[in-house]
Order: sequence, then C-alpha cells, then structure tokens
Amino acid sequence: MQMDGERIVDVWGARTPYEAGGEWPARVDELVLDEPERWVQSACVLCSNGCGLDIGVRGGRIVGVRGRAADRVNHGRLGPKGLYGWQANNSPDRLTRPLVRRDGELREASWDEAMEVVVARSRELLESMGPLSFGFYTSGQLFAEEYYAQAKVARAGLGTPHLDGNTRLCTATAEWALIESFGCDGDPGSYTDIDVCDTLFLVGHNVAETQTVLWMRMLDRLHGRDRPQLVVVDPRPTPAAREADVWLPIRSGTNVALLNAIQHELIVNGWLDLAFVEEHTVGFAALEKIVSAYPPERAADICGVSPQAIRDAARVLGTGERLVSTCLQGVYQSNQATAAAVQLNNVNLLRGMIGKPGCSVFQMNGQPTAENTRETGANGALPGYRNFENDAHVDDLAALWNVDPLTIPHWAPPTHALQIFRFAEEGSIRLLWITCTNPAVSLPELHRIRSILSQERLFVVVSDAFLTETAQLADVVLPAALWGEKQGTYTNADRTVHLSDKAVEPPGEARSDLDMFLDYAHRMGFTDRDGEPLLRFATPEEAFEEFKRVSAGRPCDYSGLTYEKLRGGSGIQWPCNAEFPDGCERLYVNHVFPSHAAYCESYGHDLISGAENEPDEYAAHDPGGRAFLKAAEYVPSPELPSDDYPFLLNTGRTVYHWHTRTKTARAPELERAAPEAWVELAPEDAERLGVADGDLVAVESARGKIEAPARLTGIRAGVVFVPFHYGYWDEPEGSEPNGSPHAANELTITRWDPVSKQPIYKTAAVRVQKVADGDGAAAVPAVASQERLG
Amino acid sequence: MNKIGLALKELYRAEEELADEYVKVGERLAAEHDVWYDCRRFADQCHLHAAAIRPFAARHEQDLDPPDDETVGQTTTAALRHKLSEVLGRRPESGLLLLRSLRQLYLQAQEVSFHWIVAGQLAQATRDHELLELVDELHRETLTQIKWLKTQVKQSSPQALVVGAGT
Repeated sequence: MQMDGERIVDVWGARTPYEAGGEWPARVDELVLDEPERWVQSACVLCSNGCGLDIGVRGGRIVGVRGRAADRVNHGRLGPKGLYGWQANNSPDRLTRPLVRRDGELREASWDEAMEVVVARSRELLESMGPLSFGFYTSGQLFAEEYYAQAKVARAGLGTPHLDGNTRLCTATAEWALIESFGCDGDPGSYTDIDVCDTLFLVGHNVAETQTVLWMRMLDRLHGRDRPQLVVVDPRPTPAAREADVWLPIRSGTNVALLNAIQHELIVNGWLDLAFVEEHTVGFAALEKIVSAYPPERAADICGVSPQAIRDAARVLGTGERLVSTCLQGVYQSNQATAAAVQLNNVNLLRGMIGKPGCSVFQMNGQPTAENTRETGANGALPGYRNFENDAHVDDLAALWNVDPLTIPHWAPPTHALQIFRFAEEGSIRLLWITCTNPAVSLPELHRIRSILSQERLFVVVSDAFLTETAQLADVVLPAALWGEKQGTYTNADRTVHLSDKAVEPPGEARSDLDMFLDYAHRMGFTDRDGEPLLRFATPEEAFEEFKRVSAGRPCDYSGLTYEKLRGGSGIQWPCNAEFPDGCERLYVNHVFPSHAAYCESYGHDLISGAENEPDEYAAHDPGGRAFLKAAEYVPSPELPSDDYPFLLNTGRTVYHWHTRTKTARAPELERAAPEAWVELAPEDAERLGVADGDLVAVESARGKIEAPARLTGIRAGVVFVPFHYGYWDEPEGSEPNGSPHAANELTITRWDPVSKQPIYKTAAVRVQKVADGDGAAAVPAVASQERLG
Repeated sequence: MNKIGLALKELYRAEEELADEYVKVGERLAAEHDVWYDCRRFADQCHLHAAAIRPFAARHEQDLDPPDDETVGQTTTAALRHKLSEVLGRRPESGLLLLRSLRQLYLQAQEVSFHWIVAGQLAQATRDHELLELVDELHRETLTQIKWLKTQVKQSSPQALVVGAGT
C-alpha cells in the first residue's frame, strides 16, 4: 500500500533502469483505502496510455486500485491520476436520477418520463426538420461498445452525419496524420519500441505529464546503461525538456518550419534510407523541392531558436539507428496541425525507420478511449476505418447493418464538432445530445459556446455522472454510470485492447450510456430493412461481438478477440484475427501500407487548405501499398501577436487533472495538488509588466478575459501558458463566470486545422496586465514544467 | 496589338476579381469560421498570382498596375459585414447564403483556371520556359482552390437545402 499523497510529489515513482533489449522491470503501484474483498480486472481511463489495473472492491464500493504486473503497457505501474482518480466514483454529488427542465428548472424525473421527453422531441423534429436536425457530441471516455451503438443509432437509426467526439479536440490530428501518410488510421508502433530504441524525438509532447507511465518507461531507459539520445521540441521547460540532449523551445505555431528544416538536413547530409524511400514511398521529389527552401537559418528565424540547435537535432535524428518519434497536442492543437504531424511521419519514412523493433512514429492519443471513436465511426470516419467516398465500403457496411446504403450519410465526411456547434448556432440542428463531455468549458471561445447551448430553440440532452457546466444548461440530464460500474473494452495509443469488467453497481438510478442508446433506439423503433430491431444486441459483450464482425477484414480487426481472451493476462494489440491470433505487435513490418485505392480510409487532402483529393485522381496514381511523403509549406498562425495583444497564448494540462476536472477535482489528493488556474510567465516578461510571482494578473484576447495568479517559470519569453481544466461548476452560478472568469477557453480562437478539423487551442494573441498584489505563493502544482524561477 | 499580352491581362483581371470576391465572401460569412480564414488566404494567393503575371504581361506590351492587397477583415466595410454576418449567422437561411457565395466563387475560379490553361498553351507555343514553370505552379494552386470549393459545397448543401425541407 502506498501512503496518502506520496505520488503527488513523486509523480513517476522510483526508477527501475534497464538497457536496450532488456525487459522493462515490473513495479506494482497500488493505492487502497480499505482492504479489498475482491479484485476486478480493468484498465485506467485517465489518459491515453491505457494502463492495466485491477479495481479493489469491498462492500459493493470501490476501495482502491492496483496496477497489473502482467500488462504489456504498464508492467504494474500507475500514474497519480490512476492511483487517486477513482475516488470520484464514490463522490456524494453523483447524479442518481434523471433531470428534466420544467419551468426553467432542472427537476428530478423517472427514466420513463425523461426518455419520453427526449423521444417526443425527436419524433417531432424528425417529422418537421428531418434527420439533419440531430447532432451528437460524444466523448473520449466511453467504451468501444457504447460508441459503436451510438454510431449505429446516429448513422443508421436517424441517418445523421452529425456525430463527433470530443476526441476531435485531442486525437483527430493523430488519425488524419496517419491517414494522410499511410492511407489509413492505426498507430504502427508498439510501446516495446521504447525498450529498444536508441533515439527519442518528442515534438509538442509533454509526455511526463500527459502519459506519466509512458514517461516512466522512457525515463528508465534514459537512466539505464545505454541511454537513448533525446530531442525535445516544446516552448516550455517540461520534465522531458530537462532530460533532453537537444531542446528546441520553438515559438508556438512553427512546427512545420522546424520539421522542414530537419528534413532539409537529413536530405543534405544523406541521412536517408534511399532504398526504402524508393521502394516504399511516393512523393520524395516534391518533398525534396519544398524542404530545400528551409535551411536551418530560415527555420531558426521563424521558430526563434538557433540554427545550430536545429543542426544538432537533425544530426541526432539522422545518425541514430533506431528512432522513435512521437507527438501530441503541441502539434495537434497548434497551427498547421496535420501538416506538421505528417512531417514527423516523413522523418521516420525518410530514415526507413518504421515497422521494425525500436523504429516507429507514434501519433499519440489524448484520451483513453479516443482510439475507439475512430474505429467505431463515432467521429470523423465510418466504422472499421471505412472510406465514406468509397461506395464499396459503404455498401459493405450497409449490408452488415442490413440497411439501405443511402440511409448512412456519406455525401461528405461526418460532421466535425465545431461544425456541429455552428449548425446549432445557425439553427439547423435543433437537438444536441452530449454524452460524457463538457463543451461549456472545453471548446474554444466559451462565450459563444454558452450562448449556443442556452438557445431556447435548441433541445440539449446531456448524459453525465455529475452536474457539469454543460449539464446545467441542458433540457434533460441523464445520470450515467462511470468506469467500474459497467463493462466494456477500450484501446490505447499502441492498439492494446483492454476489457474493463463491472466492479460495482452504479449509484441510484444511474445507467451506462450503452443502456441509454439501447433504450432510445427501442423507444424510437429503429429497425433494419427486414423490420428487425436495428440494435440487435442487449449487452456489452453482444455489442462487442457485432463490432468484431464490422471490423473484420479492416486494419483494426477485432475478430479474433473475445472477452474471455482479454481476461487474466495482458491487454492484446489489434489486429487480432486468424493471421494474428494473439494480436500483432507492429504494423507495416513488410513495409506494405494500407494505401491501395480500394482499401484506404480516405483519398487524402491538400494539407494547407483541406481540399479533398478526387477519388479518380487517387485511383489513377494508386500508391498501391506505398506510404506518402507529403510536403507542406510553413504558413503563419491565423492569429499572431500584435501591438494590442503582444503575447502568444498556449493552453494545456497539468499532470494532476483530467479534461475539465469533473472527476479529478473529486479526488482529494489531486484537487489539493492543483486547486486553481494559474498563468505562467517568463521572468523577463513579468519584470516588464511589473508582475511578481503570485500576483493576480488578467489575460485578455479579442474574445474574452480571465484572471488568475501569475507563476514565473522557465517558459519561452513572449509566451503565456494557462491550464485549460478550470471551469465554474464548483462556484456559484456554476455554468458561467461569476465575476471572475478563469477558463482558458474564454480566450481561445474558433479556428480548426483544415484537414483534421482539430481546434487550434495553442495559438492566440493575448495581453497581460497586473490586477492586484498576490498574498504570497499561489496554490499551484510543483511539477518541473511549472517550477518557479527566481 | 499584342494578343499574348491581352490574354495575360485577362488572366490578371480574373485573378484580381476572384480576390475581390474572396474578400467579400469572407467578410460576409464571418460566422463560418473556416470560410473566413480560407477566403483570406485565397484572396492573398490571388493577389500573389496577379503580381507574378505582371512581368510576363510587360514583356508582351501590357503595363499592368500592381495588384491591390486588400484582404478579408481589412476593408472599410469589414466591421459592418462582420456584425451583419453574426446576426444573419443565427438564422437557418445563412446556409443558403453560403451556397450562393460558393457558387459565385466556383464560377470565377473556373474562369481563372480557363485563363491559366490558355497561358500554358501560349507558354509552350512561344517556348517560354519561365512562363511555363509559373503556369504549372500557380495553375495547380487555382485547381486546389476549386477542389476546396467543391469540398465546401459537398459538405454544406445538404444542411442548407434539406433541413426542414417540405415544411
């Protein structure tokens, strides 16, 4: 048993160093508040790493968690959110009964009453406005079976293209970068690549805070006998930056310029695997031409780092033998997100370092079940990575579902989240069902989002475990079961599928989202072509069995998995089928990529404008299994600092919180570690502004203003960092700022990447002013990236 | 009369008119955030195209003015259009306005593309390597604009025309 709060201070725990090719030693992390009567197998849902764990149960309540030593992902370890976050399940303010808005107030109702209100409005809208007046905004926290049911309800039951996940905010660029480079989604690598690599390249990936257990694995290699070389690109002095051999603290929004210069150096110095490039890729000539215009001196000017630092980084990347590259929100939520993420793929392709032990690129995910929204069709694709522009793919899906292919909207890509909100704003979407997410805090430009959600004409349904900022604006609130209170599977960033069994009953009348979709489909009378119920399953396992059939033959093939197989040992990586009965460690080991015109998930886009490529054009130049080297010019951010707004705003996470703190603020250790928002400033900027550490400052953009205590750190000068977790639910008014706004998204800009449609959170122009003297040190966390200076 | 110069002048004029249209549409549809930003980029791109054509036109006796650099959000009426778009953007009819604007842009972009085809033929027939290279690169950008417009039309037309149809 570990002591209370120990891992708040010692985030990554004790080192267990190992060397290349060695087995990462197990270390079992455990936190129990009472002796469990039994342990129930599960996996953590508080980041995308997907650590295997067991839930300790006593007297029908969760009393603790323990990492699973046998699991391939974590070898027993857990991060602070995993160790402490489960306490939210036992929180006294869980929603236990449905709520329906009557006379302006949310009042308790029975399930029957609440569902009938939803169904009555649905019928009325179907009749008067049709299926395109329905929108669904879902989560990165539900289970695969739930997303699958939701996708089927939306796509084939109602027939609306307007279903997207909040995964659009965290993982859409990972998805699209993989599609643009390889023809299809699916992270090629395995976490075991960390065990053998000799070079690590982290771009905009604060892994130490966002995926603590993955960082433990990297850290154990970095502290081992044959330490890999580490190159880190990040404007903040993150824990990874402090371990780096080369750290490039570039100006936000300039990733493409930097990565072009690095490719320039790889080419000029001949650090290429030309045979690989020749045989397994297309597009080298065009790439070479574009990056030839990015010598390190030019990129240095754009990025604000020295040309020598860029050369040093390129030398490390160009001369290593086993390169693992990763990126996350510093790329995905930044200017030119997909274009930049694709350039990272290019680095590994140019070096021929993919599909081999220790050689891979990881397009990381933000959320624990983000991967499943992509596979099940609950976000920007059709189920099983099917291509909406390929009629054969749509026909195949329609046959599996036994519906008319034209029922499944496929005239355009499934609508992305911010466009769904735009349709709600203009009034063409009239019913918005939000599952397990909190757009009133997490979407950009919050005053606009609140005004959309508050419209009289928009009927808002929210399912959640707590009365979030968003739930407070709803017309109907459905109390949801949390992880541990329901059964299902989910998949992490290296394709490892875990089963999470039900450990305890949900509180009161709370239900799983799967049960809600089943109930809705039943009441709405959704049927297939033969008049049979559209949802032909009643349990998670039955839904899983159906999804297996839908995934069969596609890259994310689950057909060889069963719940039984997932019990007992480790999670299993897809594809799992007749060819790979025990799962598949790495994709593309034969260097054949899923880019065939008949098989690919998309025909791709122009990386700058997002214009879709024409299907016949793609077929005429069918890459036939080769990967794409796609080039992109650097284009400056849509909003640059000006005289009025001289600072660049960067938003992000702290290790102690998740999303909008809905769960983590209800775990006492996590809440105490980071109870309020703060504003990170470079000391030289603070001095000019007359701001001392702890002073209250105002940060203002053209869209809004927040106030929070300043914290002086080693952040790049000219950049201001604000964590995005903090909203208003634990204050009076609850859904909006009550005198003191502090949600980072009051400031952010409504602009998305043209290809992945991921919002650009990390690039906005702001000004900073002192408001009041501080009363000593602000209560802010002490992780290295936020460490005070001076 | 130098007919080649006239053809290049036509191309220049079409690019400048397309730039104007991007500016107008971008400002009028400010509530459609992607349209606003992309129109701004494309307006700038059209001005750059026009500027690139000038020296070639000059060689063929056409002295063209420098293109203007007016862009989305910076015209004298930008603030007014922005306000109007926010008000109109709260009405379902805003989808129809979007479609109409896309149609106009699509037609004008096709006109520009037509003139690039002509310019490419002229470059070949006059053995002008430099012009040929320019046409190759810039015509591709125009074709990408057209693809972008098609992408937008495909996505927005069902929502604009089908929701509430028949009621």
